[in-house]
Amino acid sequence: MGNTMGNMNKLFAVARIKWICISRNASVMLGPILVVGMVLMYKVLYGSMVGGELPPILTGVILSLGISMNICMDGFMMVGMAIAEEKEKHTLRVLMTSSITGGQYFVGSILFPFVLTVAVNFVVLLISQVSMEYVSMPAFFLVSVTASLISCVLGMVVGICASNQMNASLIAYPLLMVFMMIPILGNLSETLRKVSGFLFTGVLTEMTNCFANETRYMVKPLDVAVLAGELVISVLVFLILYKKNGYEKD
Amino acid sequence: MEQNILLQLSHISKRFKTDLALKDISMSLHPGEVLGFLGPSGAGKTTTIKIITGQLRQTSGEARILGTDSTNIDASIYEKIGVVSDNSGIYEKMTVWQNLVMFAQIWGVSNARVEEVLRQVGLGEHRKKQAGKLSKGQTQRLVLARAVLHKPKILFLDEPTSGLDPATAVEIHKMLLDLKAEGMAIFLTTHNMEEATKLCDSVALLHQGEIVEFGSPQELCLKYNTNKRYRVLLDGKEEVVLEQTSENVDMIADWMRRNQVQRIHSCEPTLESVFLQVTGKALSA
Ligand SMILES: Nc1ncnc2c1ncn2[C@@H]1O[C@H](COP(=O)(O)OP(=O)(O)O)[C@@H](O)[C@H]1O
Ligand SMILES: [Mg+2]
Repeated sequence: MGNTMGNMNKLFAVARIKWICISRNASVMLGPILVVGMVLMYKVLYGSMVGGELPPILTGVILSLGISMNICMDGFMMVGMAIAEEKEKHTLRVLMTSSITGGQYFVGSILFPFVLTVAVNFVVLLISQVSMEYVSMPAFFLVSVTASLISCVLGMVVGICASNQMNASLIAYPLLMVFMMIPILGNLSETLRKVSGFLFTGVLTEMTNCFANETRYMVKPLDVAVLAGELVISVLVFLILYKKNGYEKD
Repeated sequence: MEQNILLQLSHISKRFKTDLALKDISMSLHPGEVLGFLGPSGAGKTTTIKIITGQLRQTSGEARILGTDSTNIDASIYEKIGVVSDNSGIYEKMTVWQNLVMFAQIWGVSNARVEEVLRQVGLGEHRKKQAGKLSKGQTQRLVLARAVLHKPKILFLDEPTSGLDPATAVEIHKMLLDLKAEGMAIFLTTHNMEEATKLCDSVALLHQGEIVEFGSPQELCLKYNTNKRYRVLLDGKEEVVLEQTSENVDMIADWMRRNQVQRIHSCEPTLESVFLQVTGKALSA
């Protein structure tokens, strides 16, 4: 019993450390603020352009923009940068030689970014003002949680590969291009839309597009396979890298 | 295994690709003992600490720490030892107090203990200060405070005063002597022979991955005191260094009888000169 308590305390200590480090890092906290700000801005801008109610297609664009940006900025940027910062400041090794296990560090590192990503996804959905009649909350919750989790695991991969914040953003950049930009550009190109269907962020934006278009969302087997597959792959990539050198190469 | 051995290295070697960084290192550490690894940069000091504390795997040999083989240790060993590496960092965005409290939570240490350690290292008035604004010496004291928060059985210090000015180094030395007085065993590495002489009960001279000499600083200095010499300052402000020969002894006796000697010192070797004599290389090289 005492042991379980001790382990939870260690996990929460890591989460607390991460919370302080992330919340005081302006460049990563800008992510979620930017997302909410942009969604609001587009709402107002497009709203004044069309004069009133937005056509579903525009609501869909705004939603997929907000959601894919949020998943990527909060997930792999936030998680990855926070680990890179610890490497840069030489505190990661201090933690790892203070009886924190790899698992505790993993969970502690993604706890806050994960909760934030899920929460901001909801905020984006709410302020996009899609008609709630067509929103399937349980489906949205499940897909949003899974997508946020994948993105946090990818953040751990970025963190494990990076040695400082500078190259963390370099490593995260290709991931951003793929997982953030393809679902957004999928609104413009049919080919990219097809590709997007194979991305975990794409599954989520396809769902929000359905909400915006006021059609019932039906979970397709492919969506489940993409989400499950990409979760498993990102965890495996993480584990392979972790087994090789731990969080930090010697 | 003997009950009161905290740490035992037997024939440890470490190879990096083709580079043999450690060769056949053996030693042991007992409660309340301060053991130093003294050697120039690149001698293998950091590698040794990393192997003992489970951060690096040795190529051959056995290291037992608190009764456990170092290849089998898991994270829980760090509840019983304190590690200060050569670049241990602090959370610069947190206050001094927060820096310690986070680790107090990890180890299940009370706030009263945090308070005690904070006062012990003289950072009591700086508790609310952002840690990134501390001076170099204060930062190192914070690092040390953090490492001993959970009253470890062994404290590992990798060059704890490297890069600090002499006055700050003296403060750190005082802290370490206090910890020793509390009965904590300390394993430290240094390339500073004065530090080793002042702090260590026993010193291993490490040269290119090998322990070339081992003993208390005094033992080592006396052992290599083979050709005894005396430095004599005479009334005429003339300073001479004389070897122990019967003519010289008579000469010195003569000077003393005539009360011409201002000052007289025996020139026993320092650890620096012992190192030079054993390896042919200077420590500070
Ligand atoms: N990760 C590594 N890969 C290859 N060589 C290394 C590594 N770490 C240390 N070495 C080599 O091992 C030797 C001892 O290094 P180190 O233990 O850091 O010395 P010290 O701490 O005494 O300055 C050096 O020659 C160094 O270049
Ligand atoms: Mg070193």
